[in-house]
Amino acid sequence: MVLNIVASAIQAASPTPGPVTVPGAGIFSSSLLLSIMVWTPVLVAAAIAVLPNPRGRFDLLMKQIAFFTNLGLLFVLWVAYNQFENFLPSAQFEEKVAWLPAIGVTYHLGVDGPGMLMLILSGLIGLSSVLASFGIRERVRSYFCLLLLTEACVTGAIVARDMFVLLLFWAAASIPLALLILGWGGPRRESAAWRLVAYWGLGTVALLVAIMGLYASAGGTTFDMDVLLKIALSPRAQVAIGAALLLAGATRLPLFPFHGWVRDVYSEAPVGVAIVIAGSATRLGAYVMLRALVGAEPIGAQLLSPLMAAMAAVTVGYAGLVIFRSVDLREVGAHLAMVPGAITMLGLAALTPLAIGGSVLSLFTGGVVGALIVAVCAVVTDRAQSRSLYVLSGLAPRMPNVAWIMVLAALALLGVPLMASYPAEAMTFFGSIRTQPVWVFAVALGLAVVAAGLALVLHRVLFGAPNPDAPGVSDASLGETWFLAIMVGALLWVGVFPNGPKLPGTDTPIFDPGLINTMAAGITDIASPYALKS
Amino acid sequence: LPFDPYNTLVWAVPVLVVAPLAAFVIAISGVRTRRSASNTALFGAAVSLVATLLVAWGLAKRSAPFVSNYEYFNLSVAFNGPTNLQSFGMDIVLRVDHLTVFALLVVELCVIGALGWHRVMGRSEAGGARFHALASVFLFGSTGTLVSNDLGELFAFWGLTGTATYLLLAHRWGLDAPARATRIALALPFLTDLFLLCGIGVLYSRYGVQNHSNLGRSFLDITSLVPILHITSGATVKALVVASVLIFVGIAGRLALWPLSSWYTRTTIDAPAAASAMTQAVWSVLAIVVLYRLMPVFAASNAQTLRACLYACGAAAVIAPLIALVTNEPRRAIALAGSGVAAVGAAVVIHGFENAGFTFAVAGVACVLAAALARVAGALAASGAAGAMRTDDLNEMGDAWRRMRASAVALLVAALVLGLSATGALAYSVSSSSRLGLVLGEAVLLVSLASLRIFLAIAIGPLRRRRAFEPDRVREAAGSALVWAYVLALGGAVVVAAALVHNSLDFLDAHQHPVPNAETYLLWVAVALVGFAAAAIAYSTNKYGATRATTALGAWANRGASLAMRSAGRFVVGPAVAIAGGTEDWSPRRDDAMGESLLATGRFVIVLSRAPAIAVAIALAVLLAVTLALVSPGVFR
Repeated sequence: MVLNIVASAIQAASPTPGPVTVPGAGIFSSSLLLSIMVWTPVLVAAAIAVLPNPRGRFDLLMKQIAFFTNLGLLFVLWVAYNQFENFLPSAQFEEKVAWLPAIGVTYHLGVDGPGMLMLILSGLIGLSSVLASFGIRERVRSYFCLLLLTEACVTGAIVARDMFVLLLFWAAASIPLALLILGWGGPRRESAAWRLVAYWGLGTVALLVAIMGLYASAGGTTFDMDVLLKIALSPRAQVAIGAALLLAGATRLPLFPFHGWVRDVYSEAPVGVAIVIAGSATRLGAYVMLRALVGAEPIGAQLLSPLMAAMAAVTVGYAGLVIFRSVDLREVGAHLAMVPGAITMLGLAALTPLAIGGSVLSLFTGGVVGALIVAVCAVVTDRAQSRSLYVLSGLAPRMPNVAWIMVLAALALLGVPLMASYPAEAMTFFGSIRTQPVWVFAVALGLAVVAAGLALVLHRVLFGAPNPDAPGVSDASLGETWFLAIMVGALLWVGVFPNGPKLPGTDTPIFDPGLINTMAAGITDIASPYALKS
Repeated sequence: LPFDPYNTLVWAVPVLVVAPLAAFVIAISGVRTRRSASNTALFGAAVSLVATLLVAWGLAKRSAPFVSNYEYFNLSVAFNGPTNLQSFGMDIVLRVDHLTVFALLVVELCVIGALGWHRVMGRSEAGGARFHALASVFLFGSTGTLVSNDLGELFAFWGLTGTATYLLLAHRWGLDAPARATRIALALPFLTDLFLLCGIGVLYSRYGVQNHSNLGRSFLDITSLVPILHITSGATVKALVVASVLIFVGIAGRLALWPLSSWYTRTTIDAPAAASAMTQAVWSVLAIVVLYRLMPVFAASNAQTLRACLYACGAAAVIAPLIALVTNEPRRAIALAGSGVAAVGAAVVIHGFENAGFTFAVAGVACVLAAALARVAGALAASGAAGAMRTDDLNEMGDAWRRMRASAVALLVAALVLGLSATGALAYSVSSSSRLGLVLGEAVLLVSLASLRIFLAIAIGPLRRRRAFEPDRVREAAGSALVWAYVLALGGAVVVAAALVHNSLDFLDAHQHPVPNAETYLLWVAVALVGFAAAAIAYSTNKYGATRATTALGAWANRGASLAMRSAGRFVVGPAVAIAGGTEDWSPRRDDAMGESLLATGRFVIVLSRAPAIAVAIALAVLLAVTLALVSPGVFR
């Protein structure tokens, strides 16, 4: 079966006809492009699992296999990105095969603009997480198997166009992640893993309820999103299903008060795993809400929007305030990683075309920023051999490389211009101010509190006087921090060239069609019920 | 062919913006030593200055601004609804007119002067390469802000300059006091910047994206926004009022109007002198120019909004120099006096838009521009004196006129320029008998008093021996550094003089300005002179009495400020943090309790599953019957 899929993928590869607009567009095309992206990590994980590895002799090989798998997937993704038809509202690279016809389940994959954005995020985060995991010494085979499975689950959930398939990937993602934390986490790993399973399990149940509600409304014939998300439901049903989707999204993003897993998971998970969780796995919460709530239940979304906006504002303010009393740098990073998700939620709650566009862009930027802030806090604590803010002090002169990355991460979190988070934040704010003015100001005040908290942390950890009693500190070389550099580079690239780099006076992109252009495909469709009136 | 400098604007305008960025890229990609970093940053700034002079030459005989447009990004977000809200885009619109060129020259002079000073006097500062690289980013952001005509673009450059400002002020890594002081330099301006962002957001929510035949698609191009403020469907006065207030707070934060000035008054001592001087002066220029450009939006809101902004500026104009009078740290006092001048300038600008017939608003801008140069000169000279005398307390300083004559003269010129900088603006704009005239006159009096007081406290009186300090070892600052203070102070004096001449104002805004009579000029000069005389009399008759009085008053003011801060901490910040912390602690306990209850439920189910089925069924039936009986009508209800 698997070999057949691989063989048909190879056979289907052929040069794309027509004019080549950007590099990568004409390299090859395949009707199984998305399946390749979803199942390749699974196949490689299976291969790693059965490879002989006496006394860990091939640990390095395992790491290299995982790395080159991700690099290859990133290349395939780049090809798909360049082949993607911008401004086409419907799903592209679609694959549809009947799977369980008795209950109407199809193996249906496809991707539109927001989905492509999420795929790029997932690809970058996958590569960063593997690079960040190169320091793993124990049970390397199992670790990378589980990491690749996690990536496959996240990618699968992104490209699923069938609710049943989406639910499977959504639910499956928590299992390898919990095992990774349980097997390779810090001292409180058991608590962290169980909390993750419990909260995400609650979200999964909520998503199941919502999907079953939609399925029942459709007459129990199909789980296909193209059908389920176009059913005209009564307002009451929309609110009920919307509330379930909100719960599912809020547990995963996470939003206050469903954030109970954040502190333990981010501070106990290994760096690579924390990057995957903060970067791509949690963004699925907002992605599902975008698809199934905002994109399909306009009345429900409108009725729930004040609640959503309030949750966003409270989350930002809460995260900012908690920083003031945290004494653990990784816990600080964990709380800061909640902020981008709240900004995304504000955009979704505003229900205006621009705000929805901003929230889609912030899916990408928020994922990268969240992963970066969690990762850089972990790197600092590793290199400084302490997590306590009473011990960590004045590190900037002794570890300038990591200090600069931490400063950039903090600035990106605040949406400083030239970082990708600026266009996302500006679009979200500008789009939200008409429909949710109070909550926009509340979020802005919350961001100011976050800035004050960040100033405190930067003062203590980086710029203050060094602590003579602290353990020895060493800076990280660029080779050791490649995974951070990738994320910083992505933020700067998209921040400087959101439309893709172009020669002055021309409209032809040089090699990158631009994230903004790509994500536009699909947004107009999702936002069509929310057109503003004069 | 005759050379027409106007033809060079196509490349000269982008070059003046990009040159500092190129210097930054070169600096971070290979420059390691302090001297080469300094050379790179100065070269970038010098190229920018030369390009600006070329632009000035090109625009000298033309009144129309030069505009060029580069697409940054655009995005279609909807196919229905109002057309101006169906898309979103930001273009890099570079617009240069006479006023912009003038402001650019001032900014570049401030940065070059500060860098030139730092090259000599900041030799012992660690991280020289970092400092100069950040200064290049700062200049890039500043020039970008001044030439921006698209509000989204403007905020992008504005935010970038703000980031560079924070990093420059936090330059002294590894020292606790600077790190502690710069916390507010991130948090407070970021808050006010968010106000500006929200204000722009309110404008976007009403006016959307404008399409221009000559500019392409642009998000809220300022020039095109003004004519449509009242004719756009959905735009209301209420929205304009909200936008105006938000934008005013955003600008006031960076203009450092009291009480939003603490982000730099708290960092004047702990940040490198060049960074502190450069940032406070340049920000005043950026903020006043942006305020002037956006004033049509304010004017379109309503009279009450303008009046409220004017009151805020008037209050800040009086209170800031009043605090400067009782501050015994020379650089902080100069910063506060400069804040007072900035407030006077802002008040004149706002007053200039209260009536459609007024044309004097640009005089307010000129006043702030003149003061900016003097602020840098004064701060640098005072920093040199403080460094040589090893103290930041005016009580312990003195005798600079004998021991550091050149620094003292630079400080004197800067103080005079600071005190006189508002003269032209007031002569053009307000009547001395009006309430506004009284308030602004009082502000000018206090500014001149406060600024000359700094010079007198440093220059006259004995310099006493202290522990580990020998007065005879005090040496004059290096001439190669002081020359920059002189250049800037004299530049400020030239601008003050130019602001008195109506032709220069005509040139700046392309409007005709009625010439005030000689008595008006004399009156406002006399106000400043009264301030100078009061300071001179007080300090020449009894310097220690004057400094003791200001110390006592300063102690009272500090106690008041501390009390306010403590109260805010105790009654606002503390409880909020405690609530968040309590919630954070309660959350895992809640989860644990829930988990345990679920576990108990599971155990109970297991026990039930092992119990005899009939007995369990009977027990459940009894329980159900009792429950139903209790909730049925007639039993309890």
